[in-house]
Amino acid sequence: MAETPKIRVPKTAKKGEIVEIKTLLPHIMESGQRKDKDGKTIPRKIINKFVAEFNGKPVFSANIEPAIAANPYMQFFAKVDESGTFKFTWTDDDGSVTTAEEKITVA
Amino acid sequence: MRHLSRRAALALGAGSAAITLVGWNGGAFATPQAAADDIAKFTGGATPEKGKISIELPEIAENGNTVPLSFAVDAPMTDADHVSDVLVVAEGNPNPGVATFHFTALSGKAEASTRIRLATTQNIVVVAKTSGGKFYTAQKLVKVTIGGCGG
Amino acid sequence: MRNDILATGVAAIIAGAFVVAGASGVYAQAKKPAPLELKGDAAARPWKRYPGWPAADYSKYNTLGNLASAPAPKEPRKIVGPVTGDAANGAKLVADRTRGGSCLACHVMGPAGNADLPGNVAPDLSEIGNAGREDEWLYNYVFDARVYNPETVMPPWGSHGFFSEAEIKDIVAFLKTLKSPAVFKTALDNPEKRPPPVEKRDNLDPIENPGMWAVDKGQELWKEKSAAGFSCNTCHSDPAASFKTWAASMPKWEPWLEKVLGVEEFVTRHAKATTGADWPMETDSNRAMSVYLHFLANGTPIKVDTASAEAKAAIARGVELSKRKVGALNMACTDCHGIAVNHWIRGQWMGEPKGQYDHFPTWRTSLLAIWDIRQRFQWCSVNIRGDELPPDSKEYGDLELYLASQNEGLKLSVPGIRH
Repeated sequence: MAETPKIRVPKTAKKGEIVEIKTLLPHIMESGQRKDKDGKTIPRKIINKFVAEFNGKPVFSANIEPAIAANPYMQFFAKVDESGTFKFTWTDDDGSVTTAEEKITVA
Repeated sequence: MRHLSRRAALALGAGSAAITLVGWNGGAFATPQAAADDIAKFTGGATPEKGKISIELPEIAENGNTVPLSFAVDAPMTDADHVSDVLVVAEGNPNPGVATFHFTALSGKAEASTRIRLATTQNIVVVAKTSGGKFYTAQKLVKVTIGGCGG
Repeated sequence: MRNDILATGVAAIIAGAFVVAGASGVYAQAKKPAPLELKGDAAARPWKRYPGWPAADYSKYNTLGNLASAPAPKEPRKIVGPVTGDAANGAKLVADRTRGGSCLACHVMGPAGNADLPGNVAPDLSEIGNAGREDEWLYNYVFDARVYNPETVMPPWGSHGFFSEAEIKDIVAFLKTLKSPAVFKTALDNPEKRPPPVEKRDNLDPIENPGMWAVDKGQELWKEKSAAGFSCNTCHSDPAASFKTWAASMPKWEPWLEKVLGVEEFVTRHAKATTGADWPMETDSNRAMSVYLHFLANGTPIKVDTASAEAKAAIARGVELSKRKVGALNMACTDCHGIAVNHWIRGQWMGEPKGQYDHFPTWRTSLLAIWDIRQRFQWCSVNIRGDELPPDSKEYGDLELYLASQNEGLKLSVPGIRH
């Protein structure tokens, strides 16, 4: 079962306003650098990419290494000129993808 | 199951105190040279100019498992001229790479925050690239605390 | 009230042969007590240390439940002539964190360990070489300082086997070379100038505190029906109203069990006696319920019973336990949380006992886990190289009540977030 991301996007904004967005996805971000108690390396399993789009256009993205902490958190901004939908996508090393959407009304 | 559920992940955390405590164990660690190599790859060999970037990191971190990092690049964010990519590297982690952030004019600001892992006291280097092909850099030292009781 | 009576009824139906406190109604209390399963333990037996924790057996040493450590030597060991040792090796040993944390945990020691974040609980030894101390005194102070000061915080490094006699001679040889103040690479390395950590994160914001998962999980469990068809909700259908203050009044003396119960053990025993749910202490279900019950009482000032004769006696026992030297490091709660308060133990700031309870159970960013206060007690024991007790032990109950009494008036804020 994919976990539910936690997202903060303002419900409304003025045209041309730069809004703050915060996202967090619960995920262990296993670094591939740790060893278990028998000395065996615990295989890497991280979110390696995060993408934020607004009405289909790229706003912000990140290629992520194991040095990003567990429960990867991203805070960034977006300039909104029209009402629409943010789409957020997290890609796991195993190929699985978690997505979420948030609407914003621009007056 | 496609990936560990959050609760499984949390349970795993609870059960692996000592190994998680260090964040990373064993293996070779990055060097300032390895970090510089990553930067050279990012800039295509160009030497970034110092400045234009402010980095917010604690001077001292109680543990290296989740260290808040923010950066802001003082640059225009228009279609014609904007910060397009920001590389973050850590000089003392097992691998220097932390993340590469990509911005567009729609980002509004070339600013972001995340939480990073630091294996030990080290420099964090941020390099920004503009759509016009200019490079800027800044760095900051974070001291990662040493616990009292060892172990 | 109505709910409590109903709960007793439910328990009587489903608990069968269980002994249910309150069923016989003999409590000399104004309020009818909640049913509790009185038989058995509230945590796993035999207690097994958590996976990933040091597996070492410390049974040769005192615990909070048992006195086992050998008595301190009565006389210093005789040292004839000057101690000759390998000072370079001594410099390594004093910074060796695998030997009980190293001397730098408490002392600044000149260049040792590159003067990287030393502590300041104990005297700065950077100029001990000028102090005119005899070699015999230096040797014995490291080997077992109790021969000079029975109450010392200094662990008996020799008597408890952290260092061999030859190694202690190397350490003494190193100490004799220390003749000038430490030079720190950065201001942060100097414990006298290092700023204490400030916790500014909003611990109740799920984006700040991943431990908030437990509030969601607690809410789910509240309505989850047991095999017998009951849930918490059967009797407590408005938890936000009926548990607005309860967790702030815990822990509490439990006369039928003759010990102090915290929220976690109460949950285990009450659930077993009512819905039949199996939520032993130090399982994720129990942690989630404890976090949720504390969360419902957030903002309520801690106010535990300290007035009854039983509570007074329990607190008095807690005070005594807090002074007991335990583990191979031979340290008491009061060594770190009394003498060392507002000082640095290496890079760790020791806060006052007040402020060490109001945020438990708490999310630990270094471990990606929620710890309740009993697991925190257990880790303290293991960290000073002593065996922990099971989380439902009477001793931890007494200690928890004492700690809660020291935190009286602070408002609950759970789950906390700490390193």
